[in-house]
Amino acid sequence: MRLLIAIFLAAPLFAQQPASPGSEEVQAQTPAPAPAQPAAPAQAAQTAAPAAAASPAPSTEPWITGGMFFGYRGVTNVGGSFQEYRSVVDLGSGLKLFDLNFTIQDPKKKYFDRIDGWASGWGDDPYSTAHVNARKLGIYDFSFDYRNLAYFNAVPSFANPLAPAGFDEQSFDIRKHIMSVDLSLFSGKHISPYLAFDRNSDSGNGIEPWAQDANNSYPVPTLLRDSTNNYRAGVRFEYNRFHVTLEQGGTTYKDDDQAYDNTYQPGDRTTPVLGQTLFLSSLTQAYGIRGSSIYSKGLLTARPASWIDVYAQFLYSQPKSNVNFSEIAGGNFLNLASLLFYSGQVTIGTGAANQPHTTANAGFELRPFRRLRILESVMTDRAHDAASPLVAEELLLSPTTTAANVLTALNFTQYVNYNQQEVNAIFDVSHGMTARVGYRAVWGDAQVFAGSLSQTGLVVPGQLRRNIALAGFTYLPSQKLSVNLDFEGGGSDNIYFRTSLNNYYKGRARARYQATKTLSLQANFQILDNQNPAPDIRLDFRSQSTALTLYWTPEKPKWISVMAQYDRSTLRSDIDYLSLPFYVPAVSAYRDNANTGTSAVDITPPALKGAKLTMGGSFFISAGFYGAESRPTRYYQPLARLSLPIVKNVYWDTEWQYYGFGESFYLYEGFRTHIFTTGLRITR
Amino acid sequence: MLRFGRGHRARATVLGVLIAFAAARAQEKEKAPAYVGSETCQACHEDLFNAFQKNPHHLVETDKKYNHTGQACESCHGPGGKHAESMNAADIRNPSKLKPGETDRLCLTCHLYQPTHVGRINNSHAKNQVSCVSCHAIHKNGPNGLVARRAVDINTQCAGCHADVWARFQRPYQHRLANATTMPEGAMSCVDCHNPHGSVYRNMQTVDANEPGCFKCHGDKRGPFTFEHPPMRLEGCTACHEPHGSANPRMLTRPQVMYVCLECHANLPGPVAPANGTLGVVPPAFHDTRQPRFQNCTLCHSKVHGSYVSPELLK
Repeated sequence: MRLLIAIFLAAPLFAQQPASPGSEEVQAQTPAPAPAQPAAPAQAAQTAAPAAAASPAPSTEPWITGGMFFGYRGVTNVGGSFQEYRSVVDLGSGLKLFDLNFTIQDPKKKYFDRIDGWASGWGDDPYSTAHVNARKLGIYDFSFDYRNLAYFNAVPSFANPLAPAGFDEQSFDIRKHIMSVDLSLFSGKHISPYLAFDRNSDSGNGIEPWAQDANNSYPVPTLLRDSTNNYRAGVRFEYNRFHVTLEQGGTTYKDDDQAYDNTYQPGDRTTPVLGQTLFLSSLTQAYGIRGSSIYSKGLLTARPASWIDVYAQFLYSQPKSNVNFSEIAGGNFLNLASLLFYSGQVTIGTGAANQPHTTANAGFELRPFRRLRILESVMTDRAHDAASPLVAEELLLSPTTTAANVLTALNFTQYVNYNQQEVNAIFDVSHGMTARVGYRAVWGDAQVFAGSLSQTGLVVPGQLRRNIALAGFTYLPSQKLSVNLDFEGGGSDNIYFRTSLNNYYKGRARARYQATKTLSLQANFQILDNQNPAPDIRLDFRSQSTALTLYWTPEKPKWISVMAQYDRSTLRSDIDYLSLPFYVPAVSAYRDNANTGTSAVDITPPALKGAKLTMGGSFFISAGFYGAESRPTRYYQPLARLSLPIVKNVYWDTEWQYYGFGESFYLYEGFRTHIFTTGLRITR
Repeated sequence: MLRFGRGHRARATVLGVLIAFAAARAQEKEKAPAYVGSETCQACHEDLFNAFQKNPHHLVETDKKYNHTGQACESCHGPGGKHAESMNAADIRNPSKLKPGETDRLCLTCHLYQPTHVGRINNSHAKNQVSCVSCHAIHKNGPNGLVARRAVDINTQCAGCHADVWARFQRPYQHRLANATTMPEGAMSCVDCHNPHGSVYRNMQTVDANEPGCFKCHGDKRGPFTFEHPPMRLEGCTACHEPHGSANPRMLTRPQVMYVCLECHANLPGPVAPANGTLGVVPPAFHDTRQPRFQNCTLCHSKVHGSYVSPELLK
């Protein structure tokens, strides 16, 4: 239905007068009639404004241009795991509107200068998008964006293969609706108000494991529904030497997830406990979470003198949540602490959380000499949190007998303070050579919730202190060659987590070379090395990536162009940890060594004007080694696409794409399928 | 008298200096190249002139606010008098051939407002000499205006430099970026998560109010929860996820969930107190991780991003 509506809406595009040759951009480059004689400089300056104002777009230009691509996609039977296919690819068969784009121009420029729109993936595709932008220069700019995304995730290897009830992992089959509307008004000379609204929502079904202490967990069907609305409005004050932006906004949030099940569920546990089998026979669970937030922003940028730019920004938000939760479960359960079997439990949860969050930053760019720039910035981010959860749990020993209530009533505060100061000096060594050195200090402290397992208290303190050296180098000797190096290395006195950046360095090198007029090469190299030699951690982490890219668009023959890219990445991570259940020290070793390639070869046969054949795709092959945690994977996506002209501005496009996925350790997750697409592409 | 005489001489000296300075400035002004107006430019650069009529920067030509009415070309290229006489390219400023920092300053003459300006000072593009014109084609027209706007075009442009990041998106578990080669129907673009002009957060992350931009789509992970999981606030999503793409399901940093968790939740005893105390090291009970049902911690601790009712993040 949506497809039909989309086609119907797009129909006027093609009901206009015959298209003029070439696209808008081609027309823009087409020489216009003979130029007027150049006026004398002063005179020209005086007369230019009215002349320019009276220069509308050429009247021969169509007021609407665009194109659309619609047709049919067929997916062959998916070999292997269909769940995995849906989790990774999820394309389906049927009639589709693959692409629609249009530009409407008003020659009189009465209500708008132009409206641009585009849409893709309509017809029950997993990723449907629509975008409209309308603007009138100097008056307003309006944009609307909508996306409807399917999120399916049910990965077999994440579930317990021994679960008697089958698939037991938390999984999702939901739709995400994301919308944003933005309107900026340029009504005055210096004052520009703007409005914005964003909304994202999730709705669909899933499976949620319901855990009964550490004894057992039961997969139950879940209805997932949540939404967030963001409102913003502000005013920009723009003057020659400074600008101020004031913005106020708010957020509302609600989460109404529900779970309901009245079937017998043996759960994950396959063995009886103390001679009894644990099971879930009924569950009714409902969340009613409501949230709201206010948000304020102030921004100042200024250029008080030609040698200095300054800025300062202040952001404040105060998100709050209110909790309403209820749950009734029936079955045969065990309270391990008292070795008591019981037949049901009722849980009521309420509470609130309040999280004022302040962010401020300021800085300047100083240019004391022509070749030297000094960039200074400071930032502070302070999130405080006050939570007061109240959870009452009552165990039903029998339908008429209850045990003592378990009441969890807490009231605690948390905070996370983060500060950063950075200075960089950038020196232009010569016209094409620039060097940069800098220093960054990061420090902060936190007091955070440590969970009920904490042996030291409900909340625990943490510290962060890090000193970082920065450097960079850019060499642009000509338009043909560019080289860029970027380095950062630091040491930490305190970190928050065992895997945090501690004694580390990261570097990046990038070079681009235009070898000939038709051949361009690019090389990228990136490395991150992080070490924590503390005897209880012994973290040794290094990741590297090297990428080479080639673009070749020969003049002879002109009918071929090639893009090819290859990337080699390696990751090595070793860290000590405690292996459960016997708390034996062990090493978590992770390896991920990957080869990735993408290519696209475009062939436009000279004998068949307008036809185009594209071949290419991508591959990803990763490996680890036996004994290390890794997930050796092969993922292939080759494709071939043929576009043939039928009549003027109408093309018949056909595409074949193969998806092949396989894993060495989880053979049952592999899948493969062929996808064929055919349709008409119409342009104007 | 003496005092008056000294004061008189002093005033005369100051006045003389000011007159000399004014004369020098006047001479400078006389020598300064003259503006010739856009119509003069049109005589030779007619293709650019015609295309410019539909360009967003055409506003400079007509709006007095920018102080370059009728001189839009020269607002960026500088006074064109000398160039108009000599017809020599060396006699006029070409922003694309300036040093990146100078090009940026030229653009910021007008674009000195949020979020552009703050970004240009803060961000790694500016620090690595990637100027405005690296991404913005100033003379270009069409639906994309001065810069790519469709997701597939944006991603292609970013991938032009960030080839290694592009490779990550060829992995099976990734955010669905529109990709001209393999996934034209993808819905996301790089600028959904990164602001190329800069951000208060690292890696040029977009922001949603003063929270990381991830919550713009994943609003259910924002909270505040009554029982928070601290890494969410202290390290962000990348503590556990690789948002560009991974071989591991759900873009996790490890193939099995328990390793994501146990690498932090491990209070290994050391010979001395840890050099740098870390959070969350209490191990998660006596679960037998040899059993499949304990290898995936989120099988039970499903509210790992934060819970409203369970301190163990169970529900």
